[in-house]
Amino acid sequence: PAGEMGLEPLFQAWSYFRRRKFRECADVCSQLLERPPSEQELDSEYTVFQAAWNLKTRALTEMVYVDEIDMDQEGIAEMILDENAIAQVARPGTSLKLPGTSQGGGPSPAVRPVTQSGRPITGFVRPSTQSGRPSTMEQAIRTPRTALTARPITSASGGNVRLGTASMLTNPDGPFINLSRLNLTKYAQKPKLAKALFEYIFHHENDVKNALDLAALATENAQFKDWWWKVQIGKCYYRLGLYREAEKQFKSALKQQDMVDTILYLAKVYLRLDQPVTALNLFKQGLDRFPGEVTLICGIARIYEEMNNINSAAEFYKDVLKQDNTHVEAIACIGSNHFYSDQPEIALRFYRRLLQMGVYNCQLFNNLGLCCFYAQQYDMTLSSFERALFLAENEEETADVWYNLGHVAVGIGDLNLAYQCFKLALVNNNDYAEAYNNLAVLEMRKGHTEQARALLQTASSLAPHMYEPHFNVAILSEKVGDLQRSYTAAQKSEEAFPGHVDTQQLLKQLKEHFAML
Amino acid sequence: MSLFKARDWWSAVLGEKEEFDQGCLCVADVDNSGSGQDKVIVGSYMGYLRIFNPHPVKPGDEVQPEDLLLEVQLREPILQVEVGKFVSGTEGLHLAVLHCRKLCVYAVAGTQGNVEHGNQYQIKLMYEHNLQRTACNMTYGPFGGVKGRDLICIQSMDGMLMLFEQESYAFGRFLPGFLLPGPLAYSSRTDSFITVSSCQQVESYKYQVLAFATDADERQDTEQQKLSSGKRLVVDWVLNIGEQALDICVVSFNQGVSSVFVLGERNFFCLKDNGQIRFMKKLDYSPSCFIPYCSVQEGTTNTLIANHNKMLNVYQDVTLKWATQLPHIPVSVKVANFQDLKGVIVTLSDDGHLQCSYLGTDPSLFQAPKVDSREINYEEMNAEMKELQKIIREATKTQVIVTVTVTVTAEVSPDLDEESQATDSEVKAGAVPSVTVKVTIQSRVAAQKPSLAVCVQAPLAVTCDQFVFDDLEPDSSESVVLSVFLKENCSPSELEGTCMVSYNIPTELNPEGIPRVAQCNFSLPLKLVCFPAQASKAANHKLTIDTNKPPISFVTIFPDFIDPSEGDQTNALGFQFLTGSKTTLLASKTSQRYRIQSDQLEDLWLVTKELIHRLEVHFKKQNCKDFACTFSGSIPLQEYFELIDRHFELRVNAEKLQELLSERAVQFRAIERRLLTRFKDKTPAPLQHLDTLLEGTFREVIALADAAEENQANMFQAFTKLKSATHLVIVLISLWQKLSPDQVAILEATFLPLAEDTQELGWEETVDAAVSYLLRTCLSKSSKEQALTLSSQLCMPKDTSRLKKNITVFCDRLAKGGRLSLSTDSATQQAAVIPSGCATIPESDLEERTVIPGSTAMFSSNGQITKQKSKP
Repeated sequence: PAGEMGLEPLFQAWSYFRRRKFRECADVCSQLLERPPSEQELDSEYTVFQAAWNLKTRALTEMVYVDEIDMDQEGIAEMILDENAIAQVARPGTSLKLPGTSQGGGPSPAVRPVTQSGRPITGFVRPSTQSGRPSTMEQAIRTPRTALTARPITSASGGNVRLGTASMLTNPDGPFINLSRLNLTKYAQKPKLAKALFEYIFHHENDVKNALDLAALATENAQFKDWWWKVQIGKCYYRLGLYREAEKQFKSALKQQDMVDTILYLAKVYLRLDQPVTALNLFKQGLDRFPGEVTLICGIARIYEEMNNINSAAEFYKDVLKQDNTHVEAIACIGSNHFYSDQPEIALRFYRRLLQMGVYNCQLFNNLGLCCFYAQQYDMTLSSFERALFLAENEEETADVWYNLGHVAVGIGDLNLAYQCFKLALVNNNDYAEAYNNLAVLEMRKGHTEQARALLQTASSLAPHMYEPHFNVAILSEKVGDLQRSYTAAQKSEEAFPGHVDTQQLLKQLKEHFAML
Repeated sequence: MSLFKARDWWSAVLGEKEEFDQGCLCVADVDNSGSGQDKVIVGSYMGYLRIFNPHPVKPGDEVQPEDLLLEVQLREPILQVEVGKFVSGTEGLHLAVLHCRKLCVYAVAGTQGNVEHGNQYQIKLMYEHNLQRTACNMTYGPFGGVKGRDLICIQSMDGMLMLFEQESYAFGRFLPGFLLPGPLAYSSRTDSFITVSSCQQVESYKYQVLAFATDADERQDTEQQKLSSGKRLVVDWVLNIGEQALDICVVSFNQGVSSVFVLGERNFFCLKDNGQIRFMKKLDYSPSCFIPYCSVQEGTTNTLIANHNKMLNVYQDVTLKWATQLPHIPVSVKVANFQDLKGVIVTLSDDGHLQCSYLGTDPSLFQAPKVDSREINYEEMNAEMKELQKIIREATKTQVIVTVTVTVTAEVSPDLDEESQATDSEVKAGAVPSVTVKVTIQSRVAAQKPSLAVCVQAPLAVTCDQFVFDDLEPDSSESVVLSVFLKENCSPSELEGTCMVSYNIPTELNPEGIPRVAQCNFSLPLKLVCFPAQASKAANHKLTIDTNKPPISFVTIFPDFIDPSEGDQTNALGFQFLTGSKTTLLASKTSQRYRIQSDQLEDLWLVTKELIHRLEVHFKKQNCKDFACTFSGSIPLQEYFELIDRHFELRVNAEKLQELLSERAVQFRAIERRLLTRFKDKTPAPLQHLDTLLEGTFREVIALADAAEENQANMFQAFTKLKSATHLVIVLISLWQKLSPDQVAILEATFLPLAEDTQELGWEETVDAAVSYLLRTCLSKSSKEQALTLSSQLCMPKDTSRLKKNITVFCDRLAKGGRLSLSTDSATQQAAVIPSGCATIPESDLEERTVIPGSTAMFSSNGQITKQKSKP
C-alpha cells in the first residue's frame, strides 16, 4: 500500500529486507528485474538492476540460512575414509574416540546412563551428541538402527539436500540463478556482488564446488587480503572433507582479523580431526581476545562433556550462565548434572526455570516428573508425567514417558503397574532395551526364568553398550546353577562397565567355585 | 526466552495498515518546551506525521486523546524523522522530515490553552529542499566542527551523499564502490561519516576529504575521477566485518572515549575511533534494532538489542544483564525521558504498535495450557481399572476364541491349464504346465481392508500373490483366480500352498478395526511337476513299501498317469520330472508290496507320498479301515547323510566366500583411501599403479559377489533336495516304527524346523539341537544323560559328524522302542525356581534431554529425511 504513495520500489525492497520480510522483498526485486534495463544503465557501473539482483540474492539466501557452525553431520563415508587418523591408540584425555578415558572422574554408568558411543547422557540434544565413531565399516552398518540411534547417517548431505530442495519448491519457474551459465571470473572481480553470490551458491544452492571456485577466484582478486574469503574457502574445504586445508585457511584468516566465527570454525575442524585439546586451547585463546563470549565458553563446556570430564563441563556451563543467564543449553546441562549427582531438588529448580522461561515440551515435563519423584514430591510426579504424555509428539517420546512411569511404579512398589508401564513403553517403541531389561527383572521376580532370559537377551542385543542386561543374565544363571553361562555374561558385563563392583564380586565368587571343582 | 516481560507504561496503535521502519521513530523535546520532557515523533510510509506526549494516569492506561499532540498527513511517504538545530540563527530544535525526493524542516510550536485539552500544536514549514535523487536515509551533526547548529547529510538510493548547510545545498559526493545503501552515522569526534558498504565493510569518510574531493554531481564524473588527477574520495579507514549491518550508532558516554557500535545481521560490534574492534558478540538470534543508551559502569556501555523473537536484551558490553519479552517485533527502539519517569523504552513495530515500557520483575509466567483432565471419581476409576485388569489377565491367560467371520477357501482345478500360464520359468524342459487355483473369500460381517496373500514354497511360483479388495459387505464374497507353476529348475519338496486373508473388523471402541486373519491350505497335483514316462528297471535307490492288502492296479489309483487303453495289468509306472530326473513305481504281482526306485534319493519323496496318499484314499472309499502301510527295510541314512554333507559343504563355501568378500572390500576401501590422499595432495605424485590395483580389486569383488550368488542358488537347490529327502526319511521312520500322528508331528518339528536356512541360522545346527534335545529327554537311556547342558547359542558346526552320529543314535533308540513324547519334559527338566529379590533394577533414565525448539528443530527434521532416504 505504501508503494501507492510513491515509494521507490528499490527502497521498498530494501526496507522489507531489513525487516526480514524476505518473500515480499524477493517479489519486489523480481518485478524490478523483469523490467528490461536501458542501454545507458548497462554501461554504467551502478545500476538499479544490479542492486535489485543483489538484494534478491541476499533475500533468497536469508530464507534458508542456517549457521554453518551448527551444521554437523558426519556421514558414514567421511568416518570410514577418514585419512586424518593419526594415532590408533590415543593417549588418555587427548581423543574423543575413546570415551572411557576420562581424567576428571566422569560419572559411573551405574549412576548416569551412557549413550551407545559410551558417553554419559547429556542434558541437551545436539547434533554431535548423537554420533558415534565406529571403527570399521562392518560395525557401522551393524549398529542397531533405533529411533535415537548412534548410527552414522548414510549420506553426508542429508540436511543439505533438504535445504536445496526446499528452495527449489519456492521457485516453480526454475532457479533464480543458473549456476552453470555463470561466468565466475567476471563476478569474482566485482567484490560487492561476489559476496552475496557466494552466500547464495553456498547456502541456497548447496553447490560447494562452484562456491569454492568463486571463492578461490575472489580471494585471488582481493590479493589474499580479505579474511572473509579465506573463511569461506575454509567452509567449502570443510564441507568437502579437506580438513587440513580448511585449517590453513582459517588460521590465515585469523592472522588478518580476529573473529569469533573464525575461531568456532577452526575449533570445529580440530574436533573433526579428533584433537579436542587443540580445540580447547584455541577456545581459551579466543576467550583472551573476546572475554565473555558465550559461544566460546559453551564450546569448551561441550568438549569437556564429550571427554567425560563432567565437573569441568559443569564449571564452564556455569560461566556461560554468568554471561547469559537465559542460555537454555547451559541450564539443561547443569540441571541434568545435578540430577545425576543425587541432587534432584536442585535439578528441579533448573528445570522449573526452563519451564518458566517458556520451554514447553514433553522432555521437560518428563525430567520434571523424575526430579519430583526423586525429591519426594510425589504429588507433582504423576501430573508432570501426565502432561508429558499429553505433549509427546511421537511414539519414542511416549515410550520414554511410560518407561519412566514404570520406574516410578517400581519405586513405590506397585509391580503390576510397573509391568503394565514397561509393556506400554515397548508397545510404543519396541527397541527400548532398558524397558526389556526392567521387564525381565519383574519376570524374574515372578519366577518366570525363561521369559526373563529371553527379554534380557533381547535387551542385550538391542543395546550392547549397557551392562545391566549382561549382569542380570549372570545373576539369573548363577541362581539357576548355570555357572558357565553366568561367568560369560559377567565377563560381558565387566567389559561394558569395568568398574562395576557387583560384577567383580560375582566374578570372584564364580572363580572360587571353579577353583573348588 | 525470559522470565520477565516489559511492563507496559503507555501504548498506542497507529493508523490502519500503515508501514513503519527504522527511521520513522524519533524521541526529542521537539516543541522546545524546556521541561526536558521528550515527545515521541512518528512518521509513516503513508505520510502521516504524529507527535505524542505520553502521560498516562497510571501505568498501562489506554492512549488518551490529549496524548496525541499533532497528526498531519504529508503528501509523501516519510522515510525518516530527526530533530536537531536545523534552522540558522536559532539553537532551538526543529524537525527534519525526509521524503523520497524532498527534505522539509518544520518548527513545532504549541499554544497553551486554558485547560489541558485546549492546547494546540502546529507545524510550520521553515524550508524545504527538493532532491535530485531518491533519498534513503540521513544523518545530522555539527559537520566540520561548527558550533551550535546541525548540518544534514542525506544518502541517496544510488550512493550519493548530499550535504545541506541548513537552508543551502552544499555539495554531493558519490561513495565509491556503491551498490546498496547501508546505515549511515556521523562521528563528531573524528568528524567523519561511517557506513557499511555492500562489500560488507565498515567504512569511514572524513568530512574534510568529502568536502575537498572533486565535485561529482553526475555519475560519469566518478568514472573520470579515477583518470583525472583531482582529489579522489579516499576512505579514512575500513574494517571488514563480513556481514551486512542493520544500524550504526556513534556514542561517547565517557569523556574521551567514543565508540562506534555496529549491529550486524549476526554479530554485534563495538569499534574504536580508528576502526579496530573493541569487542564483539555473536548473537544467536536475528536482531531487529538496537540502541546504546548509557554507561552505568565506568568503561562499559549498556545497549538495548531487540530481536525477531520479540525479545529485548540489555547488554553491558557483552554480558546479558536483562532479557524481557515484548508484545511485538520492534523496528526501532529509543530511550526517552518523560516528565515523571526517566529512561522509558520506546519501541515501534512495523505495523504501528508504539509502546512505552519499563523493565520490571513482572514475571511473564508461562501458563501451561490445561491438560484435558476430568473430575476424578475414585470409585469409578477403580472399577474401570479392575475391569481393564481383568481383560488384560484374560488376554494373557487364555487363547482368545474368535468367532469365525471370514472364511477363505481355495479350490485347485483337477486338470492342468490348457494354455500354460507359466512365465519366466527357468525350467529347461519345453512346456511348463500350470494349474489354476480359485480362491474365494466369504464374509459374514463387514470387513475392512481385506487383503489376500497366496504363498507357495519356491521353486513353485504363482502368477500373482497379492490381492487387495474393497471393504467387504456382510454376507458377500470375493474370488480370484491364479495359476501355480514350477519356476526354478529343481523339484519342490512340497506340493502345497497357503492362502492368507487379513482384514479389520471395526468395533464400537475401535472404529479403525481389530486386525484379524484367516487362512487355508491347498495341495497341488503331482502332474504339475512331472509327466508319465517309460518305466525303467535299473536305479540306484530302491524303496519297498509293504501293505496288508492285495495290490491295486495302477490304473485305478493313478488314472491320470496311465492311458487306460494300455490295458489294466500295468504294474510299472514311470514318472518323468520336469527337471529331468526319473522315478519308477513298481507293484509286485504276487506280494502286497510296492517298489519305488530312482537315481536320486530326493526324487523318491513326491512319488512315495502320492502313492501312500492315493492308497489310503482308495481304501477309505472301499470302507476298509484296517489298511496300513509299513516299511521294513533299513532307513537309507547313508544316502541321506550324503545330501546333508552336500548342503553343508555349500554352506561352508558360502562362509568362505563371504569372508573373502569382506577381505576384498576392506582392501578396496584401503586403496580408495590411499588414492584419496594422493588426489588431495597439493603436489601431484604418481599414482604408482594404485589405479590398476583399484580396478583389479574391483573386478575381484564383483567376481566374488557373482560366485557368492551362484553358491546361494546352489545352496537353495541343495536345501530343497535336503527337505525332500528329510520328508522321505520322516515318512519311512513313521512307517517303520508305526508312529502315531502326534509322534510324526514331533518328528517333523525336529527335522524340518526352518522354511529357509540362512548363514546365521542353518538347518544343521537347528536339527542337531533338536535331536540332541530329544536324545536327552524322552529317548535318554539314563538320568546321567539328562544332566547335559545345551550350548546356549546355535552356531554353525565345524563338520557334520556330530549331527550324523546323533541321527544314527536317534534311529537306533527308536528301533529299540524309544517313544517320542514331550509330556515327560517337565518331569525331567531341572526345577528352575529363583529366590526372590535377586536382581537389581538399573537406573536407566534414558530420557534426560531437553530440546529447545529453535536450534535443534532443524536437525530432527534432517533425521527424518535421512531415514526416508535410507529406506530401500
